[in-house]
Amino acid sequence: MTPDETKTMTTALPRAAILAWPAIASRLLRSTAMRTVGAVLLALLLTALLIAIAGKSPIAAYGAMLRGAFGSLDRIAFGLNKSTPYILAGLGVAICFRAKVINIGAEGQIALGGVGATTVALAGLALPSALVVPFALAAGALFGAVWAGVAAFVRLRSGVHEVLCTLLLNFVGVLIVSEVLHGRLGEEGAGFPQSPLLARSLWLPKAWPGTDLHLGIVLAVVATVLVHLLFWRTTFGMRLRIMGASQAAAAYVGISQARATMAVMLLAGALAGLAGGIEVLGVHYRLIEGFSTGFGFNAVAVALIASLNPIAVLPAGLFLGFLEAGALAMQREVGIPSSLVFVIQGLTMLLVLCALGLRGQPGKV
Amino acid sequence: MLEMRGIVKSYGPVRANRGIDMDVAPGSITGLLGENGSGKSTLMKVLFGVVRPDAGTIRVKGRALSGHGPAEAMAAGLGMIHQHFTLVEAMSVTENVMLGLPKTGARLDPVGVAAQIRTQSAAYGLDVDPAAIVADLPHGQRQRVEILKAILRGADVLILDEPTSNLSPPEVEGLLSIMARLREQGRAIVFISHKLDEVLAICDDIVVLRDGAVSGRRKAAGATRADLARMMVGRDVSAPLTRAVVTPGEIVLRVSGLGFVVDGARRLSDVGFTMRAGEILAIAGIDGNGQNELVACLAGITAPSEGGIELAGQDMSGASVTQRIQVGLAYVPVDRGSTSLISAMSVADNLVLRDIEQKPYSRLGWLDRRAIAARAALLCQRFAIKTASPSAPARTLSGGNQQKIVLAREIGRSPKVLIAHQPVWGLDPGATRSVIDEILALRAAGGAILYLSSSLEEVLMLGDRIAVMQGGRLSQPVARAQADITRIGLLMAGADGMAAGRAV
Repeated sequence: MTPDETKTMTTALPRAAILAWPAIASRLLRSTAMRTVGAVLLALLLTALLIAIAGKSPIAAYGAMLRGAFGSLDRIAFGLNKSTPYILAGLGVAICFRAKVINIGAEGQIALGGVGATTVALAGLALPSALVVPFALAAGALFGAVWAGVAAFVRLRSGVHEVLCTLLLNFVGVLIVSEVLHGRLGEEGAGFPQSPLLARSLWLPKAWPGTDLHLGIVLAVVATVLVHLLFWRTTFGMRLRIMGASQAAAAYVGISQARATMAVMLLAGALAGLAGGIEVLGVHYRLIEGFSTGFGFNAVAVALIASLNPIAVLPAGLFLGFLEAGALAMQREVGIPSSLVFVIQGLTMLLVLCALGLRGQPGKV
Repeated sequence: MLEMRGIVKSYGPVRANRGIDMDVAPGSITGLLGENGSGKSTLMKVLFGVVRPDAGTIRVKGRALSGHGPAEAMAAGLGMIHQHFTLVEAMSVTENVMLGLPKTGARLDPVGVAAQIRTQSAAYGLDVDPAAIVADLPHGQRQRVEILKAILRGADVLILDEPTSNLSPPEVEGLLSIMARLREQGRAIVFISHKLDEVLAICDDIVVLRDGAVSGRRKAAGATRADLARMMVGRDVSAPLTRAVVTPGEIVLRVSGLGFVVDGARRLSDVGFTMRAGEILAIAGIDGNGQNELVACLAGITAPSEGGIELAGQDMSGASVTQRIQVGLAYVPVDRGSTSLISAMSVADNLVLRDIEQKPYSRLGWLDRRAIAARAALLCQRFAIKTASPSAPARTLSGGNQQKIVLAREIGRSPKVLIAHQPVWGLDPGATRSVIDEILALRAAGGAILYLSSSLEEVLMLGDRIAVMQGGRLSQPVARAQADITRIGLLMAGADGMAAGRAV
């Protein structure tokens, strides 16, 4: 090799890298993750504008929010606990949506999950508590699955659109919680519709001793990984992906759409029901009226922010959980209503969907 | 009347148009030929202002068009008749035409428009009833409604994008004579087609595109099929088919008394036939005469109302799609867009789409990615599927290569019976040829093929036996040597309804 050639080689390499950089950068910027992050930042920016219009300092507000979300171990534990039900229920919504089954019934499924877990926890089973806790959670998942199964059954049997079935069953589910709290599961003389406090031994164990962080977040992470594998690595997941891509293709492949719809609804219901059980055993230590309010909507929000990708539900759920946790602090410290969270959440969803829509081509199936 | 100069358009690294010039004179028909992906669609999108060219100028009737959108293109006198119609099926012809008219104020004038439709319809021999509901019209009539829409909007330059794809032979004749009348009236027509005979029959000038550039221009008078095909493909595709001598074997498919009724409407009545190993039964027929219902019943996608299906000696009348696949039934549906292929899925996944429940592609419900990748590599090589990688989404492939994926999956299983429904629809000559070659190879290997098409040419070229489907009935199949082309054409058009049950 002549010296000349070595010289061209050494200069050519970095030059190629520099020339390639814009392409790499633009690819990165165009990736779904980056678009989502961009949309989130834009939403925060727009909200800052609203805060400023309201006469408060956006910097102080966001500072309070950050401290509120991440300021101490307890705060982080609080945010993680808040994220847990969003992740679990969001996973179910995400795979349902991917299969073009529009399940918006997470709220009712969470409510029933809470009822199921409370029923088992208060049944006074003659079992060691180490067994009662998983039993209670399993009962939560079962109740949630049954509730989703009812919606799927109505959908398949009578052709009522699943949006309607799941939505209406939400109201029924929430009312069932009130019903049992005014009756069998209610605490006498409490003055508020709630169940008796669970025995300490039945509380969900802590994941980080010394904080409120319960094991729920661990379950949520495990569930995310399992659903991710289920969706991408199993024939069941492939059937869902085919069904979501085209009904005609699903028929051509020989997929029973009724069976697949029922299965994915049961799975989503079980995940939401588990979230309900975790709320009862890990956060409130009892069943209380209205404990699931807003969770169903947030589950849909999380699934959409994650662009229906199961693995992305984890960061999306964490984002929403910490956002809410921080907003409570913001309300306390700066006096900005925490309902601003809904503004951020709504703007983020809108902008994420816009950003994904702008990509102009469907995602990977 | 239309002048396009130096049109350049790139999509990222792909140069779809590399400096294309095209002129269309008033009162003339220019044929635009090219394989899929040769740049025809891009050129038309540029012309209509759907995409911006990187360079080049467009003049319509002497006026320059630039930075325009579809609305400006139409206002300038361009009219496009798409392959897929843009009609509202629930509305009448008049209402559909009114939808396309430029703003006429708040008050609608259905009576006036209907009168205009009648005048124009008579002038060009379109024979369109303004009061008819579009949903009730056959394909050929709908196309005429599209033509009317364009004419009433004042289009002097008409672009017809593969207008003959779904027409029966008599309907094609009708369309060609309409085009001739439009030419007499001084309008300019661009005729986009794969069908060389039609292009040679009607056009004055022919422009051939290949790889985004003009590969040849000819006067239609004096041009030959072989000549045009070579310009399109860049190699000789008119080499004769190699048709192995196969003695038909045992009966592999027996269909008897098949009937299908949906919502009180009879779509199939008493369809029966048998197929032997190593033969091609070709069914000619215009779309919508029961072919979709027949293949759906055979493939197990819909349950027939009556009748029996026996595959390789086993009764399959109530069998599931999967069971039929396992016994050896392969199926290439007509709709590649959303049925046989999932464009957002990888090439590899598409290659095992109907086999995922089978070993080795999955075990206990878990996909075996390695086995799928190995299968994909094998099929890509055997069927010469051109893809950047087996993990690339199927939508990144050309139409011909997408259809190769479907064929590779279905034929790669070495089926006993292959149902091929319009498998070369929308494919260019090169891709068509490779699909046909694969089907003949399967026949040589002892497979039975049920080939359904609306193209008489294909049916006569491929079928060992030929039958016609019309109004849900299947005529008695006859050997190719005895087939009478005129009679088949008439049967297809339903002109001889009484004879549908008799031999061709």
